[in-house]
Amino acid sequence: MKSYKLKKFHNYLVRILATMIVVIIISCSMTIESVVQPSSVNGGSVLPVTLNVQVTTNQSQTSKLMIAMLVPKLWNVANKASITFTSDITTGAQPMTVIPINSPAPNGNGLNWPNYLAAKIGNGGNRINDWEWVAFYSNADFSLGGNVTVNATVSIRIPVSNDNISFKLGYVVANSTDGLSESNRYGSFFPGCFTVNGTGDLIDFCNPQLATVEPRTASDNDIITIGFDGGVAANLLENASTIYLCATGITTSGTRIDVCSQVAASKLNSLGAGRWNVDIWPRKFFSLADNQQLEKLEYFFTDAAGANKVGYGGGKAPFLYTFKCQ
Amino acid sequence: MKKIIGTSIIILLLVNFSCKKENTAIPPEPVKTISGSWKIIKALRNGTDLTNRFDFSAFRINFSDSTYTIENLVPFIVSKNGKWNFDDPKYPFKISFTAQNSVEKGSTMLYPVVDGVRNIIISFSPGCTLNTYQYTLQKVN
Repeated sequence: MKSYKLKKFHNYLVRILATMIVVIIISCSMTIESVVQPSSVNGGSVLPVTLNVQVTTNQSQTSKLMIAMLVPKLWNVANKASITFTSDITTGAQPMTVIPINSPAPNGNGLNWPNYLAAKIGNGGNRINDWEWVAFYSNADFSLGGNVTVNATVSIRIPVSNDNISFKLGYVVANSTDGLSESNRYGSFFPGCFTVNGTGDLIDFCNPQLATVEPRTASDNDIITIGFDGGVAANLLENASTIYLCATGITTSGTRIDVCSQVAASKLNSLGAGRWNVDIWPRKFFSLADNQQLEKLEYFFTDAAGANKVGYGGGKAPFLYTFKCQ
Repeated sequence: MKKIIGTSIIILLLVNFSCKKENTAIPPEPVKTISGSWKIIKALRNGTDLTNRFDFSAFRINFSDSTYTIENLVPFIVSKNGKWNFDDPKYPFKISFTAQNSVEKGSTMLYPVVDGVRNIIISFSPGCTLNTYQYTLQKVN
């Protein structure tokens, strides 16, 4: 009987200790409480973003604050954005600086911050693989005692490009000691689809697209990947067994070069689930002379016979792509 | 007594003549040579592996002492034949190409031995600078 009571007491003790450990672990947290940003801005303007961040500690720690943003690559955020923050424990705006890409993230198994964030947090649901995570550290280290809650307001200013874009922005807050080691050691926030009312063809990261081109910024001397997603909308090729690219390259002098034959170089590879792609080197694909340079691309997709042709929105107008480096 | 002295002398002679001065000179680092024909065995674009998606198989770059020629061009740091050089022939970390009628273009370079085979890894942007390509080259047997 005595042994039974001892065993019962021991079990209670273990449960109480386990609960205490859990409370200690989950009491150390970094969260983004809210994000204030406009739903759209005009091309070439500055996107102002405010993050309301809360940091709660369970033990004293000295670290830098880390703020990361998921953005389109063509905004060149690492070189153009600026970040500062104010907080309960600081006076005045505290500057932050982009983290060099050769700097490994804490607990990141050797990965730098952008790759660590991409592996752990992901792409935020963006449909075109032309996004990047850009991470910033506070210039100064900050010492916090145990069981302290600090509120910080992070101000971000991102000069956006002139491009017409819809994109799912994302934000992460963490610190230079814990990194993304545990889910409660960092906070993330994805406010939804954001639009830039710019110029040129819409680059829609938010919605499924019949056709995509990667990278979004490329010259005719890059290898570009042209993708077709036949399952997105009803179209003449949704059940095709083979699909070919039918394209016209338009040079800077206005010369149009048509390549619309169903040959190996223009055949798309099946990725399954109605998705296809082909990698082309435009200079070779269009047999450009040394003095020729492509400005634009108009393209369709066809079946093996070339009889069924799908263009923008599944219709008869071509998809458009503009070659540009910025 | 004589026997002990004789044995001692023999041991002393053996010890003296068996010792040689240790050769502590560091062998000179050889100049790295890449002469020969090289092919692409791996190609990344912005970190995405294109090796099996795009046909790099026919590309060759043939290095001689100071010149190179290219066969079956793909997007590369240069598109014409020309001259090449290392930043340091013994410890190269950068390789530069000067194509005919063109300015010099440089690339960071790694020179690892993988599975007993020497590789050259170069990074460059043939098109937009935002797009980085990394090719791993291996000598053609």
